[in-house]
Amino acid sequence: MKFESRDLVVRYPGASQPALNGISMEVAGGCLYAVLGPNGSGKSTLMRSLMGVITPDSGGAYIDDREVHAWDRRELARAVGAVAQSETVSFPLTVREMVAMGRYPHLGPLSGEGDIDREAVATALSECDVTDLASRDVTTLSGGERQRVRIARALAQQPRALVLDEPTISLDVRHEMAILELLRRSADSGLTVIVVTHGLDLAARFCDSMMLLSRGKVAAEGTPAEVMTEETLATVYEWPLEVATDPVSGTPRVTPQRVSPASSRAVR
Amino acid sequence: MHRGGHSRQSSSSCWTLVAIGLLTAGCTSDAPPEQNLPGNIAVIDASGRPHVLAAPATRVISLVPSATETLRAMGVDSVLVGRTDFDGQEWLAHLPSVGGGLEPSLEEIVALRPDLVIRFHGEQDSRTPGRLDDLGIAHITVRPDRLQDVYASVLLLGRVTGSDAAADALVLELEAGLADVATRVSALARQRFAYVLGGTPPWVAGPDTYIDEILRLVGGVNVFADLEMLYSAVSLEEFLARDIDVVLVSDASQFDASLTPGARIVEIGSALEIPGPGMVDAAWRAAELLHGTALR
Amino acid sequence: MNRLTLAGFLIVTLLAAVLAGIRFGSHELTTAEVLAALTRGDVAMHRDIVLGLRVPRTLLGVMVGGGLALAGATFQALLRNPLAEPYILGVSGGASAGAVIVISLGWAGLGSWSLPLAAFAGALLAIVLVFRVATATGRAMDVRVLLLAGVVIAAFFSACIAFILSMSSARTVQNAVMWSMGSLRGASWQSVLLATVYTVPAAAVLIGLARPLNLMAIGEETANYLGADVEGVKRTALVIAALITAAGVAVAGVIGFVGLVVPHGVRLLIGSDHRALLPLSFLGGAAFLTLADLIARLALRPGEIPIGVITAFVGVPIFLVLLRRSMGPSLGGT
Repeated sequence: MKFESRDLVVRYPGASQPALNGISMEVAGGCLYAVLGPNGSGKSTLMRSLMGVITPDSGGAYIDDREVHAWDRRELARAVGAVAQSETVSFPLTVREMVAMGRYPHLGPLSGEGDIDREAVATALSECDVTDLASRDVTTLSGGERQRVRIARALAQQPRALVLDEPTISLDVRHEMAILELLRRSADSGLTVIVVTHGLDLAARFCDSMMLLSRGKVAAEGTPAEVMTEETLATVYEWPLEVATDPVSGTPRVTPQRVSPASSRAVR
Repeated sequence: MHRGGHSRQSSSSCWTLVAIGLLTAGCTSDAPPEQNLPGNIAVIDASGRPHVLAAPATRVISLVPSATETLRAMGVDSVLVGRTDFDGQEWLAHLPSVGGGLEPSLEEIVALRPDLVIRFHGEQDSRTPGRLDDLGIAHITVRPDRLQDVYASVLLLGRVTGSDAAADALVLELEAGLADVATRVSALARQRFAYVLGGTPPWVAGPDTYIDEILRLVGGVNVFADLEMLYSAVSLEEFLARDIDVVLVSDASQFDASLTPGARIVEIGSALEIPGPGMVDAAWRAAELLHGTALR
Repeated sequence: MNRLTLAGFLIVTLLAAVLAGIRFGSHELTTAEVLAALTRGDVAMHRDIVLGLRVPRTLLGVMVGGGLALAGATFQALLRNPLAEPYILGVSGGASAGAVIVISLGWAGLGSWSLPLAAFAGALLAIVLVFRVATATGRAMDVRVLLLAGVVIAAFFSACIAFILSMSSARTVQNAVMWSMGSLRGASWQSVLLATVYTVPAAAVLIGLARPLNLMAIGEETANYLGADVEGVKRTALVIAALITAAGVAVAGVIGFVGLVVPHGVRLLIGSDHRALLPLSFLGGAAFLTLADLIARLALRPGEIPIGVITAFVGVPIFLVLLRRSMGPSLGGT
């Protein structure tokens, strides 16, 4: 699938600066695309605009060359699995029921679940390693477990693309790596995967290309090697950083410098 | 942010439901118009609504205690077939109860096969009249508020039970009785009174109430004749400021006597609170309490 | 608990409640007399009692109880708030204000429909005001603003009612109080027809929205991502649930507890999937109110206990038992 934004400008009411100030980007085909940037740079806003939750002040977001608001919501939900940064569940719900909601876009109001649906749910549960939790109440799970359940739900949609906002934020090493491997496999099998994330190093290791946002503008875009230069990163993150090449993966690796309180100069 | 593209759809479903509601309500059939045949009894009840009875009522359920008393005073209480829980008199004990006077049991009313139900004017019970209409049971209202209402009720009840003569006689008897009391007290000094119903600050009866009417008749002057409402709470300062001879209370323990130094506190019970055919006795009692020894 | 088990239990209970409501009443009739009234109908008095009083009253209890529980479940999903109940958008305040105005103007006796119509109009006004306030910014309806608007509008109507009553005669006050205390005694075939024509299609629409409501309960952004027409569902479901409530208040006054506790009880037993929760809440509310009305009519006959008292006295212990069951041993229960 193709995700595109053209000169996207989004301003929240009462804000002095726009959250997105003219973002143009394009992601297509089977690839893993990371969106990075400091807090408040507009990453989540970009994701929401691409998915049509936010109406921009100017510019537009397009999926498969169709303006995102022109898409029928259910059709879009069958094509794209999106996972927001957080959600609060107000009532008890089992993991299986939660993941089964990923099949709703495929089901008419009166039709029940069929074998295809049950199989999709089972596959999604196992890919995210939550099959054991299937009968548990979602509200009793840990943050990381809940995260994996939500990703499973997106996978159950059997989408052609995945858009995820900070999907590994509460996950331990094992589960973070497992999810990233899963996203990499999905991209390799043809899905367009867009991930909003904080983790520079892991993004560099897994993604095909990335975009660095700073204060609503694109600071850099391209391969990890192109984007993650010391100068660019230090400017954007406003912190002295050292960039080296990871000897194992060959991708950039970032080391933030210590700064003494007396001076703002970097010290080893 | 999403546009409200479906607001039109949901507001049209809203109007559809409203329309269904109004149309169905409009299809209500009201009671059929009554014909004016000879022999019919046509009356207008206390709510101003006309009623036509084909014959005098012989099976009556009275939900209004003063109407029940009036029927007894006219000597036609044999028409009663039911009573309420609040009618404790032993001459009614043999009759089945239909529950409270304000929300009586409709089933018990129907079971007694009445040809007339007497209700309170003022529609405190909004649900019973409609059901009585649907069940084809005639009902009239009486208003037991003022002196005039008592006479009007007596005449109305006389008409519907075919005992106009007894009703007229009762009216004359009541008028004469009250005139008697008025004559008896005419030579006595006016007593400045306050009628207190209780509460903190105390509620008093103003002008235009039955209580006021009777007490004025028996030589009283309502200290709170300037009250704008029928009954009202009055500030403690007003009590102290006004010159009161007698304070009539239904329950003396409810009233703080220090509010009216120099006044006689007299406990009158509820004799004056319910207008009805017992008003002559109530007037005598009020006169005794008001004038005390001067009446002897 | 299995959904089908609960459904079976509720259907049986509802049928039993309806049959009991027709068989028993404040006037003693034998089973033979009741059956005769329903079939041959040769004793007019029995026919009047059974067909004219008991059957419409029982059926109204089914419609109003079911409608209130369904509306309560819907509001709980849309507002994502377990404390939500049908009157939360100021519906009872508006209805009571409409009724009090008509009573104080002396128009209550104009026709047996004057009070219910006034109450319904007042409820509609409350709904419109609340919606206006909640969508004032022109953007998507924020349910938290809706909740606050409901509280504020309800308070406004309470103040209106207090003002009018403070200047009214004791009789008016008594009338207003008695009207607002919920009661099914005004049930007639017309009000049953109205309630049915109203409630059944509305219930069908809401149950049809069960999947989107499941999604709404997780969060509007996620619901959107999973294909729900969030704004459309919100508006449709809220309007319909509010109108069901308004109709219930118009014919039966304010009956509390049903719309709050029945959905919770059902949820404790079978979970939050609205495809089961909504229809089972309807059945549960219908059975509950019908049984409560039976107790209200019989316990102190020929007098009647206000039905809101029964729903609370009976509902609270049942709910506490269910709550304890769901909490399990973890909260120190033996």
